[in-house]
Amino acid sequence: MRVGFWPLVGLLAWLILAVLLIVPLGSVLLSSLHDQAGHLTFANYERFLDTPRFRTAFVNTLIAGFGGLAGSLVLGAAMAFCMARLEIRGSRFVSLLAILALVSPPFIGAYSWIVLFGSGGVVRQTLMQWGVFIPPIFGMWGVLIVFSFKFYPYVYLLTSGALSNINRSLEEAAESLGLTPFQRVMRISFPLVLPALSAGGLLALIHSIADFGTPRLIGRGFNVLATEAYTLYSAEIGGSLSMATTISIVLIVLSMIFVVGQRYMSRRNVYHGNLINKPAKRKLTGFANVAAHTVVYAIALIGAMPAIVAVIFSLRRTRGPVFQPGFSLDSYQRIIFSLSDAIQNSLLFSAATVLLTVVIGTLIGCLVARRMTASNALLDATLMVPYVMPGIVVGIAFVAAFNAPPVALTGTAAIIILSVFIRRLPYSVRSSASALRQVSPSMEEAAISLGYSPVRAFMKVTVPLILPGIVAGGMLSFVTAINELSSSLVLYVGSTITMPVRIYIAIHDGDYGTAAALSSVLLALSGAAIAVAFRLMGRDERALL
Amino acid sequence: MDYLAVENASKTFGGGVRALDGVSFSVERDEFFTLLGPSGCGKTTLLRSIAGFADLTEGTITLDGARLDRTPPHRRDIGMVFQDYAVFPHLTVAENVAFGLKARKTPAAESAARVAEALATVRLGALAARLPAALSGGQQQRIGLARAMVIRPKLLLMDEPLSNLDAKLRIELRDEIRDIQKSVGTAAIYVTHDQEEALAISDRICVMNAGRIEQIGTPQEIYADPRTIFVASFVGTMNVTPWDAAGPGFPPGFAPDRAHVWAIRPEHLRIGEGRPGAVAIRGEVDKYTYLGREAHVAVRTPDGRFVIQVADPAPGLRMQPGTPVSVGFDPANALFFDEAGRRVATTRTS
Repeated sequence: MRVGFWPLVGLLAWLILAVLLIVPLGSVLLSSLHDQAGHLTFANYERFLDTPRFRTAFVNTLIAGFGGLAGSLVLGAAMAFCMARLEIRGSRFVSLLAILALVSPPFIGAYSWIVLFGSGGVVRQTLMQWGVFIPPIFGMWGVLIVFSFKFYPYVYLLTSGALSNINRSLEEAAESLGLTPFQRVMRISFPLVLPALSAGGLLALIHSIADFGTPRLIGRGFNVLATEAYTLYSAEIGGSLSMATTISIVLIVLSMIFVVGQRYMSRRNVYHGNLINKPAKRKLTGFANVAAHTVVYAIALIGAMPAIVAVIFSLRRTRGPVFQPGFSLDSYQRIIFSLSDAIQNSLLFSAATVLLTVVIGTLIGCLVARRMTASNALLDATLMVPYVMPGIVVGIAFVAAFNAPPVALTGTAAIIILSVFIRRLPYSVRSSASALRQVSPSMEEAAISLGYSPVRAFMKVTVPLILPGIVAGGMLSFVTAINELSSSLVLYVGSTITMPVRIYIAIHDGDYGTAAALSSVLLALSGAAIAVAFRLMGRDERALL
Repeated sequence: MDYLAVENASKTFGGGVRALDGVSFSVERDEFFTLLGPSGCGKTTLLRSIAGFADLTEGTITLDGARLDRTPPHRRDIGMVFQDYAVFPHLTVAENVAFGLKARKTPAAESAARVAEALATVRLGALAARLPAALSGGQQQRIGLARAMVIRPKLLLMDEPLSNLDAKLRIELRDEIRDIQKSVGTAAIYVTHDQEEALAISDRICVMNAGRIEQIGTPQEIYADPRTIFVASFVGTMNVTPWDAAGPGFPPGFAPDRAHVWAIRPEHLRIGEGRPGAVAIRGEVDKYTYLGREAHVAVRTPDGRFVIQVADPAPGLRMQPGTPVSVGFDPANALFFDEAGRRVATTRTS
């Protein structure tokens, strides 16, 4: 039974990748290479290069990407250093705030910034009354600020992990060899955390490029490729998708270049710290101590601010879309009565996605971890592609591939579920593979030598050991699935509307109370899932990345 | 009829690497048999082939008259103790030990009694309800041992079971393993790279190198009568010196004709001329290392460098580098090896 089983799983994995990745990507590529009349041509790419609007969007995407990267690196590294090396009061609370920033529902971040710092923003108005003028948050700088505070947890979580795992003896050795503190940091500590720093930076960069909601709401003329793709898609629907798909290809190529670049950069830098001599946290006093706490709490609170604002605003009294003084549960009443379909859909789709992801991800994870063949290594590498594909691109690709028979899926729940599934699959495969690598093969061998057949040994020993990790991974997939916006925005129809899409529409319509209430529900669901995950596998914020 | 017989076992990995090269040996019914060798010598591959986790390219293994290499690993009825303990972390100590009995569908009452007995043997009775994560490495390995013994296997395999433990515990546990094996009377095959451990624990030792057997023998034979230069140098310390007929003053005709190198143990060398009939080499002290129970004196001579073991050295004894000394020994203790590294007999030894 075992002989035939694993090759079958491999076949299934390739089949899934073929249908859900290669066919959609192929359709996007083909579509981008055809003109309206259906002739094979490079005209779309020429048009992309010739049109000022697209050139601007391309440049803006790079600005957004590297700006978000730079901001996240500065904020994330500062916070990582303080949290890993200094004694900070309430550090558990701070990392909770970082998680909050990470799982804030999309759009609500941008929206909260508008509420506070937009033209009529609360903070801005208050400051104006005091005679302090700050420009409204809109435009390029606004986007970069929001990206920095939204994506810094990627850098922070990875870097603080690396910083607290550097063997203290290394730094002491450098000191005893006569390096000044500055030289020591530049020549020992920095190279050692560089892999983590660049991995975190890559995540911030990829997400900044892929993010659609923030430039859409705050950009106000600062258009990027993701927003252009969506605009073109909305305009071109029914006709040819050629320009939207062309931009999608550019976005994918851009993301892949950055992924490969980061891999190349940190190709030699894999260090395994031993945990014998962990760095101690230093206790600062006086001004330095106040400064460190200020930095940490400022970053953490501003990062979590959108989520906090959403919860507060969800409790405000509203009349229609207009906020009134005082508090009430009006908004929640409204979403329960009129928007329960969105909540139901979200829960249903997420549950289905998680089920698919966990079952298939675990099977492929076992394949990759335990049966290293050339084909499985290629499988592992191919799985990186959906991981870095912007959601908008996945949405457009699915429409391009599954709009017409033989596989007409547009407008169904299946297409939304599958689009989230393929993007989440790589994470699930990685996490179950790494859970499996934690289990020494001698465990299974011990069971076999005690008289259990290989299949029973796997079920009796390995499965119980990796189960907490798998369930935890499933919970985290649930968080991603239920917060997924950009691909479902492209794929949804009236009957398959989800909460994030509904939030987007509500914000668009100025119905902020509804948006805030829906966001708070999303936050609560995400928080519950994360709590379960942390209970199962121990608190490990990095698992969220 | 041998109890366990391995015949002509060979294993070739992809790329033509021969991990095992025609290995044959047999083990008696209650024997403690050790595979000793440096890492990469094939000892673990051999053990895993017996357990069934690796397939031989060639050769046969029979246990108690039945072909073992045709039985799937879970039906071989072999207990195995692992280097990394492989204790199931999600089961209590008692459940770990009962794990193999469950597969055998042993009645609950009998199972409980046998588990209790096994735990008492490894002195873990008080910890039966605990989870292994809270236990020390030595305790975890005791669970591993109890778990393997409780199924009353036909054969017990141990893959460097003590190498992750600290020195004191290693000695303690190795004596326990030896005692338990003798009291149960199961044949055991033990893999180690630690020659002292092998000498202490084994009935017989099989020294392996580069996929081949160098020598099989009792600890005494392996140590005192090594058949190859590899065994001589790997087990214990050995002064190895190229043979030069014009060199040290062996009696004329003492050394065999084919001698290529000669070797002598540090404990067979003395400082000073020694008794009549002894060989003496002049040299000067290179280094003196005081170790408490003994001391090592390294002496440079025209014939090479020798390490001499001084038993119970006087605390006041000092040996400055450069001090002229004479190294004496009984030629009967010298061992000679030919160009291929095989031992050649001297005229005076039988």
